[in-house]
This record gives sequence, structure tokens and C-alpha cells, in this order.
Amino acid sequence: MSATSAPTPPIVDIRHVSKSFGALKALNNVSMSMSLGEKVVIIGPSGSGKSTLLRSINKLETVDSGTIIVDGYDINAPTTDINRLRMELGMVFQSFNLFPHKTVLENLTLAPIKLKGMSKAEADDIGIKLLDKVGIREKAHVYPSKLSGGQQQRVAIARALAMSPKIMLFDEPTSALDPEMIGEVLDVMVTLAKEGMTMAVVTHEMGFAREVADRVVFMDHGGIIEEGTPEHFFQNPEHERTKLFLSQIL
Amino acid sequence: MSETRIIDVGEGAAIPSKNDWGLFNAWGISITGAVGVILYLYLFESTPYKRIAHYVADGIIITFEVTFMSIICACCIGLVVGLGRVSKNKAINLVASTYVEVIRGIPLLVQLFYIYYALGRFLNVHDLTAAVIAMSVCYGAYMGEVFRAGITAIDKGQTEAARSLGFNTKQTMFLVILPQAWRTILPPVGNEFIALLKDTSLVSILAVSDLLRRGREFSSETFLYFETYTMVALIYLVITLLLSKGVSIMEARLSHYVRH
Repeated sequence: MSATSAPTPPIVDIRHVSKSFGALKALNNVSMSMSLGEKVVIIGPSGSGKSTLLRSINKLETVDSGTIIVDGYDINAPTTDINRLRMELGMVFQSFNLFPHKTVLENLTLAPIKLKGMSKAEADDIGIKLLDKVGIREKAHVYPSKLSGGQQQRVAIARALAMSPKIMLFDEPTSALDPEMIGEVLDVMVTLAKEGMTMAVVTHEMGFAREVADRVVFMDHGGIIEEGTPEHFFQNPEHERTKLFLSQIL
Repeated sequence: MSETRIIDVGEGAAIPSKNDWGLFNAWGISITGAVGVILYLYLFESTPYKRIAHYVADGIIITFEVTFMSIICACCIGLVVGLGRVSKNKAINLVASTYVEVIRGIPLLVQLFYIYYALGRFLNVHDLTAAVIAMSVCYGAYMGEVFRAGITAIDKGQTEAARSLGFNTKQTMFLVILPQAWRTILPPVGNEFIALLKDTSLVSILAVSDLLRRGREFSSETFLYFETYTMVALIYLVITLLLSKGVSIMEARLSHYVRH
């Protein structure tokens, strides 16, 4: 499935990153890279540091040491305009975080209009197309509170896509959803993956990891224990810790 | 979804609930009673009451002026103080916090005396100006706390979502946080407005001819204490009740995007 021969420079390059929350070591000397178009699924028990790692890619968490290069820019360098760089990094949260005071369409158009100087007409046009893509065009003019969790998360994905990011980061996008709504969100993510989007996904959905991932990364206690293709990962895991984890969740 | 936390409602008249029906609630009974008594006294016991009403009329205007100008200034100060209190910049935060501590620690009446008499030695402040400054400075501190509470009540995820799209701190505050905070802030801010209106009666101590002072002047000339203060109290009550209704209507308008 994956073409691991690409000599292209990585679009995300995380080198020796550490981060502590008080006494808790959330990330312990973690290195990982992603190339353009690659889909990386990060799994692991809660508290393993997977969300922290993902959130450090767009600097929602600032790391204590190590470097993170995104699209050629060191995100912690004082010369890097993090706000500009974040426009290239779409993020989807566990709790959706739609703007409740804006309609669905306004949620999508706010950033393109304010940050890219797009005209309202153009932003609306793109917004409607994206809503079409995630299958809730008819909800364009309602407020997010009127939507189900699955619908809200699809809007959140569309909102991130409205900035035409190079990379999409998903932080447990289905964990807050009722079971019957997980499928509709995963479908959107699978479509996105097939279109070639570069994606980093923290999730507990092993089916999704199997189907979509080029590479699965298993984390525990703030470190990467093992990584590899889904075939390797689910059929021949090397580490005891990985085997234990898989036996618990599969 | 970001939940809405309820801000504790402090002093001030109770804001009528949307669930109350018709005039058969505390607000309805109060307003009907107050207006009814005023009309009755004015029309049927008109000998002293008509004179009182005419005498204090320009005092009502002054009370409104002081209230209106103080509300505007106090909101501006409150917004700045509130933003200062949530600022990550330690110096700004400290200045804002100190301001709140100091001002809230001094009674409003003392602040009024201080600005009018004590500072009056160095500055020549007009009495009305002194009143507005004192009210604004004092209520600005209280309002600042309300703004701070409203801003911090907004879910952290909202800030993260905005920042992850590429908005800077300022854009996040003004495009995402404050528009939402308004709704949580409005009931307590409305209560501050009402409390402020009532506290403007303190400025009658200075040479400001507000509603209460006009009443005092009239009663000390005519010795009609009962009649005068009955009228003054009823007028304050009607104004306060109308203001509280206005606030609750605004609140209902602003909550249109919340699921009920």
C-alpha cells in the first residue's frame, strides 16, 4: 500500500521532542516524520502522549525540547509566523469545537474571509461545495447546536478543509460520538484519504487504521514503541506492549 | 459542545424569567402596582403629588444622564479590565487585578467624596463629571470581573479551534470568544446596570441635582417628607423594573443560537 521509497523531504519532521506537564512526562524524546500524501494513524492507551504529539505539530502544545519542522519551517523558531503556518494545518478535535454563534456556513467561511481576504461570495461558494462533500449542504444556515454529533464533526472537518490545508490533523475525531454516528465521520475521512490528503490521525478506530493508514504508530508512556504498516502492525507486532494493547482492544 | 456556565447573579433587581406568564409574576405585579399608584396619586391626590412630580422631573433626566454616561464608561473600562485580567502578559494582568482589588475595597460613597472633594483640591472637576467618573471607575472594576468571568466561561476548545485555523490572539478574542461571552455576560451586566442606576442616588450627596436630591430639596422646603419620598421611591422602582425587563428581552434575543 505504501511507497516507502520516496526521497521527498518530509512535510512534518519531529525530532527528539520532549514535553512534560509538571511531573508527568507526556512526550519523551519522540521522533517521527511524515511525507506528503502519507496517512499516519497514531494509536495507544490514554495518557500515552498521542494527542500531545499531534497537538504539538500545530503548536497547540509547545514542546520543551526538540524541533518540529512543518513544510520547511521550524515551528518554534521566533521568525516563523505560527498563525500563517497553522493555515496549512487543518485540525479536527474530539469535541468538534464549532463556533456556536455562527451558522454552519459561517463556521466554514469565517477563516477564509478574515485570514485569506476571500470575498464572501467566493467563500460561500467553497463552503457550500465542502458541505456538499461532507453530506450536509441542507444544514448550511442552521446553528451547530441543532446538529447531531456526527453532523457537527463533519462540519468541523469541512471548516478545516475550507482553508485548503496541506495537512489534516485529527485528534480522536470519533471518540465523543454515539456509536451509530461514527461511520458517517469515518466515511468522510476515508474519502479525504483517497483524495490524497496528508493526514495524521489519533484514534481508537482500528478498522480505520487498517483501511486507511500507510503507517501505524503505537505510543505508550510518551514514547513511540513501534511503527509500521497496518499489515505488520496488526499481524506481526514485535513488542510485548503492542501485543498486550492489541489483545485488549481487538 | 461548549457548555454555558451560569454566572452567579449578584446584587440588583431580579431579572424576570422567560417562563413567567403575563403580568402574574413578581415583575408584573410590581410594575402594575407602581405605575398604578403613581397614576392614582397624580390624578386623584394631585394637590401635593403633581407638584412633586413636576419638581423632580428634571432630576429624573439628570439621573438618566449620570446612569447612561456611567454605563458607557464603565463598560469600556470593564472590557479593558476584563481583557487585562485574562491577559497572559503578567504586567498587564497585575495592573488590572490591582485596580479591581483597590476599587472594590473602597466604598462608592468614599470614592465619590474622594474624586469630588479630595481631588477637587488639585483639579477643578465639575460635579456631574466627578459623579460620572466615580461611578465609572467603581463600576468598571465590578464590570471587569463580570467580563473576566464571561470570557473564562467560554470553553477552551473555542480558542483552540480558532487558533488552529490561524487566527491570532486578538482575532480569536474579538471574532470568537467575546461574541459568545456577551450572552453569558449580559444577565450579570444587566444587574450591574440596575445596581448602578440605583447607586446614582449617592451622587445626590454632591451638588448633582438628580432625582433623590430634587426630592430632598422639595421636601425640605415643604416638609412633605412622606409624599415626596413615596413618589421618589416609586419613580426609582418603575425605572429599575423597566430596565430589568429591557435586559431580559436583550438576553432572549442574544440566546437564539442555543439549544433549549
